[in-house]
Amino acid sequence: MFVSESMKTDLITIGPDAKLSAAKKLMQEKNIRHLPVVNDKGKLVGIVTDRDMRDAQPSSLLPKEDYDRTYKKVMSHTVEEIMTREPLTISVFFTMQDTLLVMQQKKVGALPVIDEEGYLQGILSTRDLLRSFVSIMGIGEPGTLLCIMAQEKQGQMKKIVDIITEENVSLGSVLVAKSWDVEKRAVFPYLLTNNVVKIKEKLMQQGFELFDPMTWYLDQLEKKGDTLL
Amino acid sequence: MKKTGFVYDQKYLEHITFEGHPESHYRLLAILEGLQENGLMEILQQISAAPADKRWIEAVHNIKYIIKFEDACLMGLPDFEHQDNSICRDTYDIALLAAGGVMKAIDAVMSKEVDNAFCAVRPPGHHAETDKAMGFCYFNNVAVGARYLQKQWGIKKVGIIDFDVHHGNGTQQIFENDDTVFYYSIHEHPSFAYPGTGREFEKGLANGEGYTLNTPILPGRGDMDYRKKLTTDMIPAIKKFEPEFMLVSAGFDAHASDLMSGINLSREGYKFVSETIMNLANKYSQGRVISVLEGGYNLEVLPDLVADHIKIMAEV
Repeated sequence: MFVSESMKTDLITIGPDAKLSAAKKLMQEKNIRHLPVVNDKGKLVGIVTDRDMRDAQPSSLLPKEDYDRTYKKVMSHTVEEIMTREPLTISVFFTMQDTLLVMQQKKVGALPVIDEEGYLQGILSTRDLLRSFVSIMGIGEPGTLLCIMAQEKQGQMKKIVDIITEENVSLGSVLVAKSWDVEKRAVFPYLLTNNVVKIKEKLMQQGFELFDPMTWYLDQLEKKGDTLL
Repeated sequence: MKKTGFVYDQKYLEHITFEGHPESHYRLLAILEGLQENGLMEILQQISAAPADKRWIEAVHNIKYIIKFEDACLMGLPDFEHQDNSICRDTYDIALLAAGGVMKAIDAVMSKEVDNAFCAVRPPGHHAETDKAMGFCYFNNVAVGARYLQKQWGIKKVGIIDFDVHHGNGTQQIFENDDTVFYYSIHEHPSFAYPGTGREFEKGLANGEGYTLNTPILPGRGDMDYRKKLTTDMIPAIKKFEPEFMLVSAGFDAHASDLMSGINLSREGYKFVSETIMNLANKYSQGRVISVLEGGYNLEVLPDLVADHIKIMAEV
């Protein structure tokens, strides 16, 4: 659950004095959109994104001659001149949830990961985050998702987990969502099995309601409509 | 009326799964009883099964996997590769007999002894990948059949239609690079149902791109969606591919009262599925179609669904 488990550690970095031409070549060759800038001691001093590079480049609408001349000039500038100084960073002890929230709120595509002394340890992009969430949700492994409506009261989750455990089935993940009905919660256990008949029967015997996600979604819409009226 | 073959062997009952396992021998017993009650046994041409020669299994599965599976059975292990895959000492031999049953049915259709055939076999096959047992499946019966058709009978283009409520990940994986076998599957959406594959964007790889087609159906949906999607997805795809022979992975677990899935297909809905497939077979494959049992776990409805399916095949 910590970013250190999901971040990229085979780092591609550049020095602040490097020319933009070198930065551009590196990003193209390695197919990356975020290039951390580190000084000769390995400390993070900035970040250059493909967007920074594009902003620095001349307009593609310029006549070719002008474009080429300006382009050449631009490319001889240094990374330091266009990089974002003191970029937003996260620590190796950030959880994936922290990172998800930071990325959502700050609208960034990648975050350099630094240790307590400010040395660059890794980088985490939205692509890494996606991979990690596929794994967290367990959807890389074969299984079945149950959709259970449970009363909002203590002990319900235990009952569900007990039934699953009795049938000797492994859990890939469990998601819990609020329902339009304040007294109920929707619980989505992802079971790593094809064999769900017994579990479904037991859940129903114990008073749980199994529902279709589509019906649930439509119900939610209806309720939303009601409150709007 | 058509001459329809029927593959069954008492030995299929001897693949014993653990107590309470949904893929039990009671499934076949219920099917047989249903066929007798419906008077279908008299009109079906019995085809006896024989164990598949191992080289045909090797045409689909990795040899190391085959040996590993045989060992697990011989050692008396309770399951193979996942606790879902319950086995007994005889499971390996019976799995050979299941694939071999499909091969016998192919011989009967190709030599025109029968027009088409239904194979009441177990263990099922469509989840079994090249080197992986999954979802109660060990050898991919339909995939072995497809290779047998191609290599033994010179059939170039085989169409496979899979209407089991679960995606046939095994069949897809085995043929995903292959442009000579077209795989179509309609199933419950992989975000909800086992095994979590069979999304709309899985369309085959490399040479096989465009030769796999998946139609996921959301839980809670039923006849309407199947009618619509088979018409817009399956029919044009088969029309374009023009298979010379069709194999069907027939799963009856999409029925509303089968708790294995969230799909609510009715008996009528299932009839529509069968009719549509037989129409396609008549049109493009000279009526040559072999349907192979996969899932279907509610013993109350399974016999009727299979009987309906066979009636449509036999045109009675």
